[in-house]
Amino acid sequence: MPDIQPTTDKARPKSSLKAWFHPRGRSISTIAFALNRLTAIGLTLYLFLHLVVLSQLLRGPEGWNSFVSIAKSPIFLTLDVILLFGVVYHMFNGIRVALVGMGVANQRQKGLFYGLVGIALILFVVGAVLIYTK
Amino acid sequence: MDSTMSRRSPEQMAARRDRSGSVWLVQAFSGLILVALLGIHMIAHHYIVEGGLRDYQQVLDYVSNPIIFTLEVLFVILGVTHSMLGVRSIIGDMRPSAGTLRVANWVLIIAGALAIGYGIYLAVALQQLAG
Ligand code: HEM
Repeated sequence: MPDIQPTTDKARPKSSLKAWFHPRGRSISTIAFALNRLTAIGLTLYLFLHLVVLSQLLRGPEGWNSFVSIAKSPIFLTLDVILLFGVVYHMFNGIRVALVGMGVANQRQKGLFYGLVGIALILFVVGAVLIYTK
Repeated sequence: MDSTMSRRSPEQMAARRDRSGSVWLVQAFSGLILVALLGIHMIAHHYIVEGGLRDYQQVLDYVSNPIIFTLEVLFVILGVTHSMLGVRSIIGDMRPSAGTLRVANWVLIIAGALAIGYGIYLAVALQQLAG
């Protein structure tokens, strides 16, 4: 996985933004890295949006409860499912990146990747079903 | 994925205790702690409650619990710090000029401080509203 490096590692290839996301001829490791970065950017944007939305709570029960009823519409639930994918992928791939970057399980990186991303996918499917059915 | 995929060994890490190396460690450790904090946050807010999301009174009751209050405040501090450091390293990878990086650093510090300040204010205000 030569492309997946701690962001600050000197060995990491430096390239333009477009090149990071160019899938052709790329290994699973590059795709794993690009997806980690993409989900990271999405989560960061969501974090700020989330804080803004939470300001509805300061407007009292009407403000918040009317937001909650909009948030239960199918479009919002679908956005929730997309968000859930971003969270579980970034979280479980992030565990691998953090462990390997700290020198833990260096030699078992491939197994770690498939194992953790496998858990992420199972949690994603269970979570997505719950979002639509609960 | 062969042996070249392995990254810095602990020895290499120890040899590189420069600023960027320690910033990455903060990023990695905050990420690992976020697994628990974000996990609790998502399950408690979105999966335990019947109907999927807490209504106004349920939110107040939840945040007024001192343990939950502490976890939520920690979550906003670590989440914002982790993501601002992450955005900084993405910008760093784009080889910005020193001037651009300086401006980006300040923008991220200010945005991060505002987000953390506002998040804590919100948690305290909700706790007071709960009485
Ligand atoms: C839930 C647990 C999380 C874990 C275990 C985790 C782990 C990590 C790790 C290890 C990195 C470094 C990637 C690298 O050096 O290549 C990273 C990057 C990043 N994370 Fe997280 N993270 C988590 C949650 C979050 C959240 C909630 C956000 C946003 C709100 C976020 C935003 C970012 C950003 C912006 C980056 C920079 C991406 C890059 O350098 O490619 N992370 N994360």
